[in-house]
Amino acid sequence: MKAKKYITPLIFALLCLTTACDFLELESPNDINADNLFKDAASAENALIGVYSSLQSPSYYGGGYLLIGEPLSGNSATGGFDNSNIDELGAQEVTSSNIIVEEMWYGIYNTIANANRLIEGLATIDDPAFDPDRKNDIEGQARAIRAMAHFDLLRFFGEHWDNASSFGIPVISTVQKIGDIAPRSTVAQTYTFILGELNAALALVNQVDRDPAFVNSGTVHAMLARVYLYNKDYPNAILHADETASEGSYILLDDVDYASIFNDRQTSESIFELAFDSQNRSRYNGLTYARPDALNTEVNFLAAESLSDFFIGRPGDVRADLADFDPGNNDTSIQPNGRSQKYRGESDEDSPAYIFRFAEIFLIRAEALGYSAAGLADLNTIRNMRGLGSIDPGAGGFLNAILDERRAEFNFEGHYYFDLARVEEIKPGGLLDLEAFRAILPIPMRELTATKGAVEQNPGYE
Amino acid sequence: MRKYYSLLVALIVTLSAAAQSDKITVSGSVTDQSDGSTLPGLSIVEKGTTNGITTDSDGRYSLTVAQNATLVFTYIGYTPQEVSVNNRTSIDIAMIADATLLQDVIVVGYGTQEKSQITGAIASINNEEFKDQPVTNLASSIQGRVSGLNVTTPSGTPGAGLLINIRGNNSPLYVVDGIPMISQSNSSLSTSFDTEGNVVGSGQNVSSISDINPNDIESMEILKDASAASIYGARAANGVILITTKRGKTGKPTINFNAYYGVQSIARPIDFMGSEEFVGLVEEARQNDLDKYNADPLYFGAGFDPTVLTDPLANFDLSTGVDTDWLDEVTRSAAISNYEFSLGGGTDKTKYYSSFSLFNQEGIIIENYYKRLNYRLNLDQQVNDKLTVGTSAFVSYSKNRRSFNDNTYTGIITNIVGSSPLMPVYDANGNYTSFEDYQASWLSDNPVKSAKEIRAITTSTRFLGTVFAEYALVSNLKLRSSFSTDVTYTTDNQFKSPITADAEAVGGEAFEGNYRNTTWLNENILTYTKAMGENNLTLLGGFTLQKSVTDRNSITGQGFPAGSLELISSAANIVKATGDQTLWSLMSFLGRVNYSLKDKYLLTATVRADGSSRFSADNRFGYFPSASVAWRLSQEDFLQDNELISDLKLRLSYGLTGDQEIGDFQSISFYSPTRYYGFAGVRLRNIADPSLTWQENKMLNVGIDYELLAGKISGSFEFFKSNKSKLLSQDAIPGTTGFPTITRNSGEIENTGFEWSVNAKVMDRGDFQWNLGFNFTTVNNEIKNLTNDGILVSAYSDLAPTHILKIGESVSSFWGVKYLGVDPASGDPIYQDLDEDGDVDSDDSQIIGKAFPDAFGGLTNTFKYKKFDLSIFARYSFGNDVYNLIRPIYESLGYSNDDVSLFSVYANNATTVRDRWKQPGDKTDYPRASFINANFYENSSQFVEDGSFVRIQNVNLGYTLSSWKIFSSVRAYFEVQNLYVFSKYKGFDPEVSSTGGANEFTAGIDYGAYPQARTFLIGFNFNFK
Repeated sequence: MKAKKYITPLIFALLCLTTACDFLELESPNDINADNLFKDAASAENALIGVYSSLQSPSYYGGGYLLIGEPLSGNSATGGFDNSNIDELGAQEVTSSNIIVEEMWYGIYNTIANANRLIEGLATIDDPAFDPDRKNDIEGQARAIRAMAHFDLLRFFGEHWDNASSFGIPVISTVQKIGDIAPRSTVAQTYTFILGELNAALALVNQVDRDPAFVNSGTVHAMLARVYLYNKDYPNAILHADETASEGSYILLDDVDYASIFNDRQTSESIFELAFDSQNRSRYNGLTYARPDALNTEVNFLAAESLSDFFIGRPGDVRADLADFDPGNNDTSIQPNGRSQKYRGESDEDSPAYIFRFAEIFLIRAEALGYSAAGLADLNTIRNMRGLGSIDPGAGGFLNAILDERRAEFNFEGHYYFDLARVEEIKPGGLLDLEAFRAILPIPMRELTATKGAVEQNPGYE
Repeated sequence: MRKYYSLLVALIVTLSAAAQSDKITVSGSVTDQSDGSTLPGLSIVEKGTTNGITTDSDGRYSLTVAQNATLVFTYIGYTPQEVSVNNRTSIDIAMIADATLLQDVIVVGYGTQEKSQITGAIASINNEEFKDQPVTNLASSIQGRVSGLNVTTPSGTPGAGLLINIRGNNSPLYVVDGIPMISQSNSSLSTSFDTEGNVVGSGQNVSSISDINPNDIESMEILKDASAASIYGARAANGVILITTKRGKTGKPTINFNAYYGVQSIARPIDFMGSEEFVGLVEEARQNDLDKYNADPLYFGAGFDPTVLTDPLANFDLSTGVDTDWLDEVTRSAAISNYEFSLGGGTDKTKYYSSFSLFNQEGIIIENYYKRLNYRLNLDQQVNDKLTVGTSAFVSYSKNRRSFNDNTYTGIITNIVGSSPLMPVYDANGNYTSFEDYQASWLSDNPVKSAKEIRAITTSTRFLGTVFAEYALVSNLKLRSSFSTDVTYTTDNQFKSPITADAEAVGGEAFEGNYRNTTWLNENILTYTKAMGENNLTLLGGFTLQKSVTDRNSITGQGFPAGSLELISSAANIVKATGDQTLWSLMSFLGRVNYSLKDKYLLTATVRADGSSRFSADNRFGYFPSASVAWRLSQEDFLQDNELISDLKLRLSYGLTGDQEIGDFQSISFYSPTRYYGFAGVRLRNIADPSLTWQENKMLNVGIDYELLAGKISGSFEFFKSNKSKLLSQDAIPGTTGFPTITRNSGEIENTGFEWSVNAKVMDRGDFQWNLGFNFTTVNNEIKNLTNDGILVSAYSDLAPTHILKIGESVSSFWGVKYLGVDPASGDPIYQDLDEDGDVDSDDSQIIGKAFPDAFGGLTNTFKYKKFDLSIFARYSFGNDVYNLIRPIYESLGYSNDDVSLFSVYANNATTVRDRWKQPGDKTDYPRASFINANFYENSSQFVEDGSFVRIQNVNLGYTLSSWKIFSSVRAYFEVQNLYVFSKYKGFDPEVSSTGGANEFTAGIDYGAYPQARTFLIGFNFNFK
């Protein structure tokens, strides 16, 4: 009977069902079940690479994070196709539905989630072949990175200059489950967590290696110096700046070589430089330069005319060359704005994220030391290396001199907006003449909706 | 033999007639009214006598009858006709297929049923109604013809995907000859990029349902309610479209050759300004601003330099005499043609149908085309009394030269809407002009250059085949088993020449993508029928297995040598390579009971259990039951022989269907491969909800089928209420989890609606017939529940939110600032400052419209006079708004897009802004021209428009010759597709969808979609003898 050949598969299939057939048990060939990942040393190494990869998110150190603050501080004018998200940054009037800000929020918490998962996963690995030092190193790197991520959030979304403020950020130190909602910690609690993690990491990470593409003890010292400065704990800021400055791994480049920081990769000034390559691109070039004859519609973050004015007041400063306002190099639609030259390399688009450069250590220490011989020495060290003579602005002008130096040094590297907020100069009549609440960004509306009111909006943005 | 016999009879009759002086001989031919084919073997009897004859093989007859006799023409499947002779000697008759549709057999899930026995809401549409239309996608051929089905054409691009919505639910399941078919876009070529080359939207969608040749289709059935659809269980929540292809019929072979050729051109062009008017607008804008400045030097802030309002703008004068019409430069009159050959026939035991077709459509945008080649073979063989075997198979190949960036940023259309008419296409040396040298900073490249120098081609090869066997185990118990495969291979090749702005910096870029899918399906269905007196029972049970494996890979290279080397191997750098695989499987059990009592009371109950690999073991199986009852009132005594009501049926159904279309492996938290600094690693891909399970759709349907005046008027009313719950959604969760969204079951949407359809034989007077079909649907769509009430969504990932999901509102509600009009005194636009903080920004947003129509439908009129036939088909939609996000660009009113430097002009404008405010007191919706102020707010109701329309979709005038030379019939026709659109919409076409596909949450956005064409064509159908 011919029908047999059709009945057979039917019967076979029914049998298959009763004998726990795996017809419906499929596995994805592209992914690994997160619950089964952490088994051995290799899996921890892989997840660590994942943590670094998460830093490369386009909205975090892949581009967004270091550039969003530039128009807010006035260093950048915004271009683009009249996109309201970009326009809000340019107008320094960011709303809670701004998608760029929202994506940054998600991007940073994604890094925290990757780090948390690795930290918890590490504890479950029982692999005799896993070198305990390396295991500690991995844990230390993950903890340092999650501390940095929290700090990065605090700088944009929390009142980081005020240790008494209740407007910190949600601190996430464990793997989150569905339904977990984390309210905001206070600023003090946030700093406590960040500093606790960094200090713990300091003991765990590799003490010798100085590869700027990864976190090591040099990186952690530098991060500690930065966080203590923001938290106004000057002795500790000085302590860790000293550690970094004195060890000899990092060397400042002089005025002749200064531009090589951006034209080359991993110069001696880089403490933490997130690496990209042509197959793993960053957005810096696309956002700040695009192509030689680009119009203003194609470049989201133009160098603002005010930055040109700023450098005109600093003759001899080699850093002026990296903010290019030459009409011959910029389309008329861009002028009188210009473009930063820090992220060239249109063909590979591999411009790195300069997360920590050695120059910052001197400026941290100078600020922490205050107006003093040592403080002036640090400030003038940077000036001298950048083609400028020494100055003594006096006690009254010292902080402003440091702020100017930071602006000259780190424009288009994301510092200036935080610096102005940190010294509370974002206020009516301040160095940045905006309403004071604009010293930080609003918590994204979407996050407020998703947390059902558990997360409070920043004052002024309600 | 029969021919001679007929002649003999005719001779005898004629002879006998000659003997009687009051008799005459009548002769003529009998044809099928619908296609003009001849009808051999048809019986003709002189009424009241036994005198009769049958038509010969050419459909001709000759019969001697009394001068005042009445001839009765009868033929199976056709309405009998009685014709008075009235001394005529020549009477040609066109027979009409059975007026009473009730005996029609309708395809239902896993079987067929007589229409009278149907208890669910099923619309059936026959080949007659959609053949020979110049469309690539079969769904566009049924647009507007069925109530409850809303088909939107979001793009005029050849081969484009359509938005198919059944009763408020997008993306139905297509089942082709019993095979649930993969119908999504398989191309991995994204066509929506931002200026950095990042993908920002799904852009132009290419539908793989276009692989099917619409003319191969015998009928389509749309399963609208749960009763009809739930036999497809977990995939039926959005309705089901059953497609049945043509099969051979017993009898003489029918050989057809069909051809049409036509010309398409843009149907509703936008009138853009010429050079003089453009320059005038910008200068007016500058003068307006200068007036403001002169009145109040602080109007534009302290430190404002008024010379930007007076200095001549660079490259912005009329001295060159250039006046380029960019729309004209990138659009064209484009040819469309289709050639098709089909062959069908068979004996009692063997039946065959085969067809071959070649479709070729040029896009109305230069360079763009779509070509398709189809081959089909359907065979049925009766092996013995018990066993029948058969096969259905088709192969198609399509090649699509894509239009780059349809309906999004940096596209050809988005570029031309702002292009300066002062810019020539080519410079004096014949090279493309550099857009940087001309004012209009909106551009991202010379549009003609984009069209020509970005070459993107998608090809698709598809095989879909089934073998089946049907075996009668005992006389009333049948087993049908089938095995089907659906194999698709799609390739994408895109080359951006080094001279394009997109790839200039990298020296050219090429992308090559491959998609391979193999899906197999085994179905085993047992059917048992039993008639016991007045009870009729049909039982059906089945078991099916399906598995699908998809491989995708792609490679991107940059840096190309000059000349024609465009393939990846010529690239200096390989910058990206991907390769991944995904798979799913489905195991299902299904059952159905059909019971009828006295042919009056009908009951259908179905259940399907689906197990899917997409859900975790605990949530794997879903059960989808439904039940429906119907009462045929017209069979009751009190309606017997009622002259008005010839048939009346009440239907009631309730049931549950499901949806599993969420992508594979979403219920597991994964680590995915990643890399950093030359090291391979893994990174969290998602946070997963292990309890992820089916989306459910509960639907209640009440229907009335009616047939009045012996079939002169027929149709149905339907009322439905459907609740989609446990929506498979990308639900917002706190970002502190590391992810913005989770794939989970969340939310509930209710669709309630009413449908009415009517078909009427308005007039039937001998030579002249007029039939009318009308349908009307209204659907109210409301979000009933959400995890996150008020979540904002954006049509493009880099644009400000365009939509909101809010309880109590329709999905696809637009989000933006409310525009209050123009201040007649100052000419400035006024927006509602909702939060009263003095600023108008996105914090002032509110719901400002919705994409969902209130009502839609279609109207068909067909006329027949002698050998002429004419059909006019219109469809309509009311109450749908369009968020025209591209219009701010071409109504930017002389704006410079730069609040600091003010050197550049933003974009050319459409002539609609001629109505702009010019002097105090002007009452208008268009604000004053301004160089410095943006007198438009993109995400505001200023650009929300009423998208209601009535479209004269198709007009077809034909002439049929029967039995001419070697043809049994020849029909020649003239056709116009998309003749006219009655609409106030200012964009190219009110039917839009920026997301190109099925995302109902971001529906209704126009971002410069590919314009729709108007097509004039002539065609021929040849039926060979």
